[in-house]
Amino acid sequence: MSNDVVVSARNMTKRFGNTLVFKDVSLDVHKSEVVAIVGPSGAGKSTFIRCINRLHPFDEGTLELLGHRLTGGKAKVPRAVLQDIHTRVGMVFQTFNLFPHLTVIENIMLAPMEVKKMPRAEARERAMALLEMVGLPHKRDIYPKRLSGGEQQRVAICRALAMEPEIMLFDEPTSMLDPELVGEVLGAIQRLAREGMTMLLVTHEMAFAKEVADTVVIMADHEIAEMGPACEVLESPKTERAQQFLSRVLKPEQAADDFVAARTASQGGDR
Amino acid sequence: MHTMLQQWALYLPDYLKGVGMTLELTGAALLVALVFGFILALARLSKIRVLDWAATGYVEIIRAIPVLILLFICYYSLAQAGLKLSGPVAAIVGLGGFYAALYGEIFRGAILGVDRGQREAAEALGMPRSVAMRKVILPQAFFAILPPATNQLSNLIKDTSLVFTIAVADIMFQANSALSQNFLPLDMLLLAGVIYFLFYLILSKFLARWELNVQRRRS
Ligand SMILES: Nc1ncnc2c1ncn2[C@@H]1O[C@H](COP(=O)(O)OP(=O)(O)O)[C@@H](O)[C@H]1O
Ligand SMILES: [Mg+2]
Repeated sequence: MSNDVVVSARNMTKRFGNTLVFKDVSLDVHKSEVVAIVGPSGAGKSTFIRCINRLHPFDEGTLELLGHRLTGGKAKVPRAVLQDIHTRVGMVFQTFNLFPHLTVIENIMLAPMEVKKMPRAEARERAMALLEMVGLPHKRDIYPKRLSGGEQQRVAICRALAMEPEIMLFDEPTSMLDPELVGEVLGAIQRLAREGMTMLLVTHEMAFAKEVADTVVIMADHEIAEMGPACEVLESPKTERAQQFLSRVLKPEQAADDFVAARTASQGGDR
Repeated sequence: MHTMLQQWALYLPDYLKGVGMTLELTGAALLVALVFGFILALARLSKIRVLDWAATGYVEIIRAIPVLILLFICYYSLAQAGLKLSGPVAAIVGLGGFYAALYGEIFRGAILGVDRGQREAAEALGMPRSVAMRKVILPQAFFAILPPATNQLSNLIKDTSLVFTIAVADIMFQANSALSQNFLPLDMLLLAGVIYFLFYLILSKFLARWELNVQRRRS
């Protein structure tokens, strides 16, 4: 982790119509830093990282990234700026979103050829190198629907990396996967982290966050409940909201006990 | 039975001329409908409001009007207003304009039906909208377009039979002129019906095979 800040969010607020998604979110991400964003579902984590690469506009605050300064509100961002951001920030989706009409290798080659005008041979060579990296070179001519979820997500990571992004965003990359397939995807992400990629990662995998992330952000109730060095936040959270969330995810059996206890209590009156 | 076949043989050369005209009209009207329909779909999906409104207005109005009236407007009313179109041209404009509204809606629905995640993935990779449309959205929309589009094509072929009313020598025109000579409307219209049925049969077999091929190639 170095000192140059590559993403700087200041007091960002986002609403969908009248519904508040998050408010006053401020966050700095440094070059090669890995930031994990955790929190209960509906907290606005996905929307927040989508605002970072401007898949969604935001309403208030400012966002500086890659030399651009975006302000919230109605003002239109020039198309060239949006395109520059999209080209230099890679994104991996919860639902993979591979292009079903293209083979694995065509999925990876499309954007470099269409956006960067890379010659086909070079795009193919680079795509193969990426597939080797994630252990899927033999799947290059197969259509996505014939791949397992874990394979699809690894291809999606290659597709994003083919644009040589400076920042990678991951939105719960493993939450649609069967448990036995989670490891192969996390392995690919961990490798990227070791190579110094700047990353923002929304995840429910606490152990992975602790191991790979430098910084952990806990989002809850439309705001950042707590943020700081990964081990500190995950092992000894200071705010009550963060403690509450972590105790629920780290001790599922206790959450189940609480649930049973609450139900028994609520039914007690009938007997 | 014997006389019917004799009459069919007698008028077959005329009918075949009609078949040529019907096929040409269908082809030309289909081309107009596809191109103009695609433009209408893009206009309706455009963020420029005026384009959206104009296209929506066109689609809503045109598809509410019976095709026969549209053909008469293109042939008689435009002539009255000083724009004289020949029968075949009026037929192509009328049928093409009507089917453009229908095809436009098919295209628009299919484009909107492509999963939103696909658009987002393309955008997140830095693809400009036009590239995303050409390389990601349209190839996927194509599968949704094929079945309803082929359906409308068989309707279009049948609707070309209306053009005999504006003096275009299609199959129906030939049938009509034959039956006014030999006074055998049953026999002569039956032949026209058989020809339309053959069209339908060939077209549906051909398109079904094509659809199957496309689907097979994809998986
Ligand atoms: N496109 C959208 N339109 C309207 N509301 C949305 C949209 N996307 C998300 N939301 C709402 O925003 C809130 C936060 O969603 P999300 O960012 O997906 O949360 P998380 O990823 O933390 O589970 C939810 O209440 C969700 O219903
Ligand atoms: Mg989410």
